[in-house]
Amino acid sequence: MFRSKIGLILVGLFLVILSPLNLLAEPHGKLIVFHAGSLTIPFKRIARQFERLYPQVEVLQESGGSTRMARLIADVGKPADVMAAADYQVIDNILRPKFANYNIRFASNQLVLCYTPRSRYADEITKDNWYKILCRKGVVWGHSDPNLDPCGYRSLMVMQLAEKFYKKPGLYKRLLANRPIKNIRPKSVELISLLQTGNMDYAWEYLSVAVQHHLRYVKLDDHINLGNYKYDPYYRQAKVKVVGKRPGKWIIKRGKSCTYGITILKNAHNPEAAIAFVAYLLSPAGGLKILKEMGQPPFIPARVPTKKMWERLPRQLKPLVEIKN
Amino acid sequence: MKLSQGKRDNFFLTLFFFSLPLIVLILLPLGKMLTGTGVDELLHCIGEAEVRNALLRSIYTSFTASAISFVFGTPLAYLLARKEFPGKRLMEGIIDLPIMIPHPVIGIAILSLAARDTLFGEILQRLSLHIMGTLTGIITVLTFVGMPFYINTAKAGFEGVSPRLEHVARSLGAGPWHSFFRITLPLAWRNMVLGTIMCMARAISEFGAVVIVAYHPMTAPVLIYERFTAYGLKYSQPVAVWLIILSLILFVLLRMVARGKIRQEGEMDA
Repeated sequence: MFRSKIGLILVGLFLVILSPLNLLAEPHGKLIVFHAGSLTIPFKRIARQFERLYPQVEVLQESGGSTRMARLIADVGKPADVMAAADYQVIDNILRPKFANYNIRFASNQLVLCYTPRSRYADEITKDNWYKILCRKGVVWGHSDPNLDPCGYRSLMVMQLAEKFYKKPGLYKRLLANRPIKNIRPKSVELISLLQTGNMDYAWEYLSVAVQHHLRYVKLDDHINLGNYKYDPYYRQAKVKVVGKRPGKWIIKRGKSCTYGITILKNAHNPEAAIAFVAYLLSPAGGLKILKEMGQPPFIPARVPTKKMWERLPRQLKPLVEIKN
Repeated sequence: MKLSQGKRDNFFLTLFFFSLPLIVLILLPLGKMLTGTGVDELLHCIGEAEVRNALLRSIYTSFTASAISFVFGTPLAYLLARKEFPGKRLMEGIIDLPIMIPHPVIGIAILSLAARDTLFGEILQRLSLHIMGTLTGIITVLTFVGMPFYINTAKAGFEGVSPRLEHVARSLGAGPWHSFFRITLPLAWRNMVLGTIMCMARAISEFGAVVIVAYHPMTAPVLIYERFTAYGLKYSQPVAVWLIILSLILFVLLRMVARGKIRQEGEMDA
């Protein structure tokens, strides 16, 4: 009798000791997700849905220019589990191979010209005359800093391509001559407050940002909007000089369709939750669906460029990713 | 006697140990930043016109902001220190608001004021006063964030001057202007300088509101942010070190000037 009681207590103790191990199997704890400013709104919704599926995980989002976020990880050593960039090349250039093993391309975007009903010539602008309006005196328009924000150099590329597409030599120069340097902002999202406060008439943004902020926008021809990767050879004609690794050094960025990349960092504090989060993001009925609804056409399925990189993916992500350059 | 001496030592020792964490908190990160930057890097960095211009711009705009606060804040501070009027507490609360409002909100609020399709915005346009991307805009923002520090410090100074002294001066035939400039101002001078320093210090460090109103032309904090984002820590740090060095020199100088001024006045009184 006495012995069996001891036995029961031992079994009980054993269970009590084991139970935290059970909890460990399920992703839990804090998950730090760094992402491009342009992903803020869809990622907020994706994080909320994800937390509903995994109630023990708390997703902490931090957003900013993709380059800056990558720098925070690589230079400052800021802890992050997941990093999603508006230009997948940011992950390749700053984080690989030291901080990340792979780079999954999961969505695309395109550039549009945003405005509000208060903007000058708002009732006139169309997809065919936008560049004429941007050249008019008194029209205030801007883009983000090409050195800090991919949206910035992409805006410049769109205008270069417009010169070629509409066969208007000198258009790019004429456009920039009507854009004083003070109309440049660090991040494209910051231009929205200038639009909404009536300090600016037109701003270059991603389509997704325009949709999410309920702005009016001019959708451009596929030849120049950097949204369709079938036109990548055409886009390559655009060249923008941006700062290199140190002041005074420059690198040339060539036109390319807007492609988002995501990775889990090698030194992630919470790899279980990170894998679960990325798996949810890449699932067609989960994250990809939300992205689509918010004006950010996803790649279904997501892709990596090489078999070698595919091999390095966590086991749970492999079925969600195809090999396609 | 000996016992109480020991007790006092213990008391001050305890105070000292409790002050230590805060001092370490200031010195450790700043020390790391200062020692992490080589002399070569510092010299190279100050050789760039972009850096020099940003530093000068920061000093110029924050100095102007504190000068504006001085000119318009002094009457306000005096009024608040001397007069009781309905709504005074509310007014004091409003003056403190810029301290607590998140900085980007301040920037956006000031920008919306300048919207071109509003009446006020149109008046500004007519006067060719532009807020977005101009020094005017930067100074407006810096005055906004720095002013409470000047007003509160100057007010405390005026409150420290007994109204009886002013009454005596008045009873001897001095007018209100005269008694203010001859009695109150010399006695509250120290606080006014201190307030100017605090206002300028607050202004020179402002980033969040400035970057909304003006990214170009760049002030030093904005340049530090831009350099950090574009090139990484290595190239933003020297700019930050220069800003720290210049601020330190500036504020030590201002304090010395203030002390000299007070000593002079002390001698005059004697």
